[in-house]
Amino acid sequence: MGASSGPRLSGIQKQVLSLYREFLRVARSKSGEDRHQIESIVSAEFRHNSNEIDCKNFIYIEYLLRRGKKQLEQLKSPDIVGLSYLNVGSSQPKKT
Amino acid sequence: MALRRAILGHIRVPVQTLTLTGIKQNQQWSLCGSSLRFMSSHDDHITKEEVIERVLSVVKSFPKVDPSQVTTGVHFQKDLGLDSLDNVEIVMALEEEFKLEIPDKEADKIDSCNLAIEYISNHPMAS
Repeated sequence: MGASSGPRLSGIQKQVLSLYREFLRVARSKSGEDRHQIESIVSAEFRHNSNEIDCKNFIYIEYLLRRGKKQLEQLKSPDIVGLSYLNVGSSQPKKT
Repeated sequence: MALRRAILGHIRVPVQTLTLTGIKQNQQWSLCGSSLRFMSSHDDHITKEEVIERVLSVVKSFPKVDPSQVTTGVHFQKDLGLDSLDNVEIVMALEEEFKLEIPDKEADKIDSCNLAIEYISNHPMAS
């Protein structure tokens, strides 16, 4: 883990992109409107974090990766149709 | 009919020790095989020109991209001002357009129109 094989992307960057890809794949499995909503929340969250977080803050990024993976697992369940936002100070996505 | 007789005649030799159901199965398989060959003989694989055209139109329709800048030679991040997250989105959009599933390892490498075109036109399942 963490070995950078490519010249441009570090291991942790690859993990983030791979998680993003998986979220988008799961979104595809949901129906039209839900899918659209999931995609926009997920992409806003990733983009927000990519702008806000120092790319050397590995501990925090790894925490977000773990949290993201858990959320992804939950989202994979067919019973869960979407994500929704709950704004408590900082923005955190929460499952419905 | 002639084909069927030919197949049956052909099968009987090696199948002597098998039961009747065995023969039927063999026949089905061989018929199935010939129809598959028929399907693939009229070439339904898309042409490179079509791949190029559809890749370009997917990239052009990406919200952050200025369509006038898109050519086959553009690099998503260097030339179109996109970031790695956009790159993932474009590759996902291409997957959907061509009904493919591109594994992570390959998807990470696709960072320009040229590479996308090359990958997709070499992919046997692209449609």
